[in-house]
Amino acid sequence: MALTPTNLLFCFIGSVVGTLVGVLPGLGPVGAVAFLLSLTFKMEPATAIIMLAGIYYGAMYGGSTTSILVNIPGETASVVTCLDGYRMARQGRAGAALGISAFGSFIAGTFGVIGLMFLAPPLGRAALRFGPPEYFALTLTGLTLVAYLTQGSLTKALIMTILGLLAGVVGMDPISGEERFAYGSLTLRDGFGLVPVAMGLFGITEILENLVVISTQSVYETKIKGLLPNRQDWRDSAWPIARGSVLGFFLGILPGPGPVISSFVSYAMEKRLSRYPEKFGTGVIEGVAGPESANNSATAGSFIPLLSLGIPTSAIMALFMGALMIHGIQPGPLFIVKYPDLFWGFIASMYIGNVMLLVLNLPLIGLWVRLLKTPYVILFPLILLFCLIGVYSLNSNVGEIVIMLAFGIFGFFLRRAGFEGAPFILAMVLGPIMETSLRQSLLISRGSFGIFVTRPICAVLIALTASFLCWPLLRRKKSGRG
Amino acid sequence: MKRANVTVALTLIGLAVFVLLEAGKLSFGSMRVPQTAFFPVVLATLLLVFSLILLGQALRGAETGRGPERIEAEGWARIGATLATMVGFALVLERLGFLLSTFLLMALLLRAIESQAWPKVATVALVTSLVAYAIFGWLLGIPLPAGILGF
Repeated sequence: MALTPTNLLFCFIGSVVGTLVGVLPGLGPVGAVAFLLSLTFKMEPATAIIMLAGIYYGAMYGGSTTSILVNIPGETASVVTCLDGYRMARQGRAGAALGISAFGSFIAGTFGVIGLMFLAPPLGRAALRFGPPEYFALTLTGLTLVAYLTQGSLTKALIMTILGLLAGVVGMDPISGEERFAYGSLTLRDGFGLVPVAMGLFGITEILENLVVISTQSVYETKIKGLLPNRQDWRDSAWPIARGSVLGFFLGILPGPGPVISSFVSYAMEKRLSRYPEKFGTGVIEGVAGPESANNSATAGSFIPLLSLGIPTSAIMALFMGALMIHGIQPGPLFIVKYPDLFWGFIASMYIGNVMLLVLNLPLIGLWVRLLKTPYVILFPLILLFCLIGVYSLNSNVGEIVIMLAFGIFGFFLRRAGFEGAPFILAMVLGPIMETSLRQSLLISRGSFGIFVTRPICAVLIALTASFLCWPLLRRKKSGRG
Repeated sequence: MKRANVTVALTLIGLAVFVLLEAGKLSFGSMRVPQTAFFPVVLATLLLVFSLILLGQALRGAETGRGPERIEAEGWARIGATLATMVGFALVLERLGFLLSTFLLMALLLRAIESQAWPKVATVALVTSLVAYAIFGWLLGIPLPAGILGF
């Protein structure tokens, strides 16, 4: 089913767009997925998900290109690649770096998809035993972990989480259907739409930040000859790729921005395991092979909680959940059982996507480099135009453009004050699930909070959450006394 | 950073209070049967607590990260012009129609980011609006407002 011409075509389109987005600064995969979400309305659900996943993968591939060539990460998961990748480029080894990055990503991505294929169905079956208290605990743990892992102060990340939950409250009460905080506006009655908010916080905010100082990027002028890594490169990279694949996959399953975290952890791991750690940062291929593999297998891993439990664990997964719901599909433990065609078609397309990207990336590098030279003056207005049209195309509602711009401004000032957007958007999407499961749990337990600690799975999750919240406090007390 | 933190903390405290007041108009229910206002009230209370913590941290001078980089007047001008243009687009879109609004949007945005000659700006804006119309309106079939030009 994934092999229908339409699906293949959209897999291809998604991969190309994703790579493009990953290469260009100013619009990350979250913004791109948000924008293209609106265009997938008319598609079949399978096609839509296949295309959007292609974007996610493609962005990972594309982000590494700019890191290596221009020392500017196309997206956060490629930041680490700048360290050694750019150095390699300066030494005339851009080809090897790009090549190993593409191959490592392919191997890791394939590993990740296999893992997804084997882990998601049994996890889905296990999740059937989850009731409202477990779901509440899951959302609580997920949000807390994401806040904990967000850069900057934990207090600020938690505040963004709470604000996101509050944003999710606007609109209709999920249980009683009553209007809340809508003030009679038809637009607000449906709540803040995921797409306007995501595009505002991740699209508009990015562009505004880029407008602060217009910097001219100098693309490193280098003839990229010899895109294939030599045998020594392969020998050096084999273990980093293997380790990166496994590490990335499991870190991807955990809540939080899997690809970003796994790239950092992989770099640290490779440095620690290397026989010459002091060489890291000077152009060591392990410093590219490991992180690039890790961030790709993490993308596969990050789908697991969504597809088997119905819980998104990062901003971009929240958007995928939104995409499924727009097509009337409710993600949850029964997802794989109810929509096996969709699930397996999706898995197949990820394999195919990985192959496509490998084939695409190497020859098209010249094109990406040329694109990077597009004057920002034309690029930024184009991106903004796409955002505006994208949002309008959802419901032909100018109000949603206003919401997007409002969140863009809101995101801009908050980002400058040290508040990040990912916890907000994840919280906004999880809010209704959290509220519903909380209220249902209390109904079941007749008002007692004991239900959360007497049920085993729930208790474990709550304990985990509590430890994440208390850890920084404990650490500070210790250092205070010392 | 300290001033930014204090401002944000105070604003958030205000927001929390606002939510509590508004939610007071809805029914809270009880712990056994939580109703509409339950979740918002819990959240607003948590927001209040954390905002106070933030305020406390800021006033104590605790290090909560690097301060934001200064924005030159030029930067603010670019940001302001860009936002104003986009808001303007939203307001006139349904009146003037897609083509005209997009043309104006692109022209103004191109100028807002960097001063350029009008002929170049006008050409790029025209081409972009036509291409955008072709792709979104025709190829993708998105309903675009017709406005005063009639199409």
